[in-house]
Amino acid sequence: MRVKILRQKSPNSQPYWQEFSYEYKDNQTVAGMLDELNYKDDLTDIFCKHAPRIQWECSCLQGMCGGCAMVINRRPALACETFLRDIKGDTIILEPLSKFPTICDLVVDRGIIQENLKKANTYIKEYKNSDMTQYDHMYSAGKCLKCGLCLEVCPNYKDGKSFYGAAFANDCYLISSRSDSRKVAIKESYKANFAKSCSKAMSCVDVCPMKIPTLASIAKMNRR
Amino acid sequence: MKKVLIIGSGIAGLSCAISCAEKGIEVTLVSPFPSERSQSVLAAGGINAVTDFPEYKDSIESHIEDTLKGGCHIAGKKAVKGLCENANDVIKWLEKLGTIFTLETDGRVSKRAFGGQSHKRTCYCGASTGKQIVTALVMEARRYEGLGLIKRRLWMDFYSALIKDGICCGAVFYNEATGSPEIITADSVVFATGGQNALFGKTTGSTQCDGYAAGKLFTQGVELKNLEFIQYHPTTIETSQKMMLVSEAVRGEGGRLYYEDNGRYVYFMEERFGERGNLMPRDIVARCMEETKKEIYLDITFLGKEKILKRLPEVYELCKKYRGIDITKQSIPVTPSVHFFMGGIAVKNNHETNIKNLYAIGECASIYHGANRLGGNSLLAAIHGGKVAASSIEKSEQTELDNDFSSELKEAEEKLSTMRKSKSLYPVKYVRDMLAETMHENLGIVRSAQELEKGIDDVSFYLSIADKLNFDKSEFAYLGYSLSGILTLAKATLICAKNRKESRGAHYRSDYPETKDDWTASTIISYDDGKYHTYLDTEGKYES
Repeated sequence: MRVKILRQKSPNSQPYWQEFSYEYKDNQTVAGMLDELNYKDDLTDIFCKHAPRIQWECSCLQGMCGGCAMVINRRPALACETFLRDIKGDTIILEPLSKFPTICDLVVDRGIIQENLKKANTYIKEYKNSDMTQYDHMYSAGKCLKCGLCLEVCPNYKDGKSFYGAAFANDCYLISSRSDSRKVAIKESYKANFAKSCSKAMSCVDVCPMKIPTLASIAKMNRR
Repeated sequence: MKKVLIIGSGIAGLSCAISCAEKGIEVTLVSPFPSERSQSVLAAGGINAVTDFPEYKDSIESHIEDTLKGGCHIAGKKAVKGLCENANDVIKWLEKLGTIFTLETDGRVSKRAFGGQSHKRTCYCGASTGKQIVTALVMEARRYEGLGLIKRRLWMDFYSALIKDGICCGAVFYNEATGSPEIITADSVVFATGGQNALFGKTTGSTQCDGYAAGKLFTQGVELKNLEFIQYHPTTIETSQKMMLVSEAVRGEGGRLYYEDNGRYVYFMEERFGERGNLMPRDIVARCMEETKKEIYLDITFLGKEKILKRLPEVYELCKKYRGIDITKQSIPVTPSVHFFMGGIAVKNNHETNIKNLYAIGECASIYHGANRLGGNSLLAAIHGGKVAASSIEKSEQTELDNDFSSELKEAEEKLSTMRKSKSLYPVKYVRDMLAETMHENLGIVRSAQELEKGIDDVSFYLSIADKLNFDKSEFAYLGYSLSGILTLAKATLICAKNRKESRGAHYRSDYPETKDDWTASTIISYDDGKYHTYLDTEGKYES
């Protein structure tokens, strides 16, 4: 199969496309494929031209850390849980997440996610007993990977300067459900940094690897 | 104001950072990636504590006894006592910060039974305890970030520690985003860099925990401890990139281990240990599996689809997704895998190393687990250790810093510049793969002097060429410069295993199968100009 990758040598250099060929394997993930491509004596593209090794980020390799988030065949996904068997056609296109600055190849700087959460004072401070009927929802929101897939797919999220996206909305729900002292402040922050700009396309729900019910988080925050 | 530099932002690093900030200490928290990528998020099981409402007849003394027994009596008694006594406060602290624990209907934190423990005392958050704790700690750390007490630095890879006259006063980092080395100074430096997975290639852990920091510190004069004790988890499934843990809960639900012999199913654990044989401690199960020399399967199909989907949904999903196995119909092919390192940086009870103002916490430190770790004690140790280190840092005297570190910076710049000029296409991974193969072959579940000596010879050879080889500069610079440190740690581990001429806990020697009383002490290893020296800490140097 063909593997087409949008590459970039450093933060300030120009991106370019490079194509590789790879022997399809049923149970292989995109992450596994990248490792295999990288570790031959000499990585060459389809024109037999030497290519620098492909840079990408990983940590857990089992869908629990969000490190390997990238755009796979135009859809944001985690490379470690995207299987080649689920790819339609015989070409796979890999691009770095486009809403964040590229460091190199498929590695991007998602620091803005943490920066925005810090700016918006996204913290609990002191837990108060919460409504246990909400346990499953809170547990799910607590699993957010901060991987950025929801921001990549969101039509309203541009560069994180004014709209903070679904990762923020879910954290707001969590804080609002588990803190009395922060409830009012987080609602204000939610209104300013999320509610006024969300057009409810809900594409964030489709791509979330943790299957967080963001729509329910939004509904509850809007009512509070 | 006192300044502390914390390297690593998993649960141990976060706990220490928050505890320091609570005391008004200024924290710089450094890691290549945010806390959400740390190995801590993979911890599923739980966290041990005898809480205000313990199981009938459970007590802190019982927790201490179980921990010391599990560790085969070489963990420091005082340290373990402190750990277990503080566990209830740790749980209360985590609750206060908003950790989403699984609760009983009366609001108390739920507990589950874990292997090797005489009572049910493992508090948990569904199937993602580590992740939920990380989420709560990240939020609390963020509060202190807003107050200016915690400053986070990302994209920073540890290069070396700044140690002068036996005192640590900072570290050199390589900034992957800017491509240059950088120095951060502090009154105290805390390492929270995790276990040494890279020694074995594929493990159940994160690719980010590679052991380089421990290896590099070792060459800079920091003593290491008990490296020979490596915990294997008996049931994992292999994928092309890693070993994925199949939870102990499968055996807890009645799962049976077997191999096939001429069409006959041999339930070897039950044949040897009776009805509950499948639930023997991790090291015994792993060793029995190894001894069969057969492909082992774990069968849970008899439980029925409904119960499996209800009680073991994560295992069902994992096997289906990564191996295409339907565990309601098929047995799971399982193999033991390296899971946890009891050994690491030697620390005293306050978590300080033999170098003043240099601390280590979490899996990179060796203190509480002795020769084998109990499930549920690692998260506890990570948090408790972070808090203990913070208290010690608060009490420590500020030392005058010598601010001229230009020679250290120059050395790092020269090394990185040489790497950037390389025209080689040879990837570091080839040497890392050879190391992993050597370690698996010679430092497996069952060890012998002959194999260990071969392992030492092989790793010595890799070390002799590591600094002479030019590597492909298109790889991350960190991969290149970290290699020697990782190889040094591997050699030290093999030497510790060779020198312990007995079997104890996770260290099993086919040539010395008995546990010997006069070996009831920790192994300490030090490094001096290429020479490795080991001794048994019979005088309790690290137990004060």
